[in-house]
Amino acid sequence: MSLSRERMMTKMKRKQKQNEKQTKDIKNKLAELLDIPKEVVLNIPKFTIIGNNDMIIENYKGIIEYDTSKIRINTGVGVVKVCGAKLVLKEITSEDLLIKGQISGVEFLR
Amino acid sequence: MLFIRLWNYIRGYVIILVEGFFLEKFINICAHRQIFLWDAIRKSSSSMTLKMSVKGFKLIRPVARKSRCKVKIVKKKGIPFVLAKYRKRVSFWVGLFLFCIILLLLCSFIWVIEVDIKGGQDDIQEQDIIQKLEDIGIKPGVLKYSIDTQQAANELLLSMDQLGWVGIHIKGTKFKVEASKRTVPPVLLDRYTPCDIVAAKDGVISSLVVKEGLEKVKPGDTVQKGQLLISGIIPVKNNPDEYRQVHAIAEVKARTWYESRVPVAVDVLQKVFTRRVNERYYVIVFNKLIPLPARSSSFEQKDVVYVTRKLEILKDMVLPFGYMKKQEIEYVNNYIVLDLEEARSRAVEQAKEEVMKYVPEGAKIIKTNIAFDKNENNNEVAIVTLECEEEIGIQKKIGGN
Repeated sequence: MSLSRERMMTKMKRKQKQNEKQTKDIKNKLAELLDIPKEVVLNIPKFTIIGNNDMIIENYKGIIEYDTSKIRINTGVGVVKVCGAKLVLKEITSEDLLIKGQISGVEFLR
Repeated sequence: MLFIRLWNYIRGYVIILVEGFFLEKFINICAHRQIFLWDAIRKSSSSMTLKMSVKGFKLIRPVARKSRCKVKIVKKKGIPFVLAKYRKRVSFWVGLFLFCIILLLLCSFIWVIEVDIKGGQDDIQEQDIIQKLEDIGIKPGVLKYSIDTQQAANELLLSMDQLGWVGIHIKGTKFKVEASKRTVPPVLLDRYTPCDIVAAKDGVISSLVVKEGLEKVKPGDTVQKGQLLISGIIPVKNNPDEYRQVHAIAEVKARTWYESRVPVAVDVLQKVFTRRVNERYYVIVFNKLIPLPARSSSFEQKDVVYVTRKLEILKDMVLPFGYMKKQEIEYVNNYIVLDLEEARSRAVEQAKEEVMKYVPEGAKIIKTNIAFDKNENNNEVAIVTLECEEEIGIQKKIGGN
């Protein structure tokens, strides 16, 4: 009885996850179909890099780590690591982040 | 970007030093609570500097406690802080207030009168207009709100006959007068008054177009000033004693000649500047000149140049202060000898200029004749003769003068 209940729970969880994935898929397709900016619909970040010293991150979740040579940011697609030198957080608001400095790399970590 | 920075400066902001081990958390909470941060620079592993508005700083205390950070103000920047610094200086504020009042006072008077005459500078003199304005009561130093521009323009128009139109506007501390010349209408005889047409000047008749009247001359005739050209008295045919009077209308064109003589001067007086200049400065306060000490010049022959500069805010806010520079430039008279060719051409140029003054408007120049002759002193003279064709007929009332 208890075993079956546990199994049911896991089954339900799996189903919920599957559901989530499905809605995301539908949203993605809808966004592509209707030409709506994806970062608005899907809650994923938008990165704009100007040259190699300006970077604008819109729709981020939070800053995990900030140092002059490395910045880690939590976003909707996982953690993003920005490497460089003399990095400065030029502007910080709840929606976007402006990074200045010599950027040498952007990495997406899962 | 510049605008945002300026705005921040106007609103006032603080540079703070945050110390602690959870600086990222501090930033995240701030961002979440809509506290705008900028220019975050990491100083060491446990500290960084941030900029935030004064308004934001007031909300920072719970955030600091939550993230276990220490917050210290490094610098306060912006206009509110600057003002706070000067708030207790009474004399500064009094001075500022007085400055504004005096500026306002000075700007409410007329300090400069500018006259702009369009067309025919020679008929109307700027000085006359300024004099007339002074008679009305408009001169430098008059309160500008007391002037009725419309009335002033009307009075000016009425008092000066040569003016056709006057526009007055006050701009800043300038009183600007725009005036244009009036073309005086010719005195015309009434269409039904019988009249003759007589010659206005000497000439040779070249063409006659008679619309009304009896012609007394024919093309090719030489006429003198005042001579009857077209008669308004027409005898009735078959009855020599009777006649009828008409208003003669005709176009009489004649050849006329204008001449001017200018002696050919071989030696010409020329100014040679010695490069010695004496300057003297005057300070202008309201309408008075206060000379500054300077040594006086001992130049025998000199040109004097005055340069006036007045203090002005923008272009039209001229204040009654300034300086005047009086420059005396010494020169020496020097005779130079020209060769004959050069002297002749100069004389011809001068003669041409002179003769053009006599030629009336509407006359067509047909031929220009240049000749050289000797005068009674046996000096050479350049003679320029212009042959023109022009209308010479003027109407004259029969029986009148």
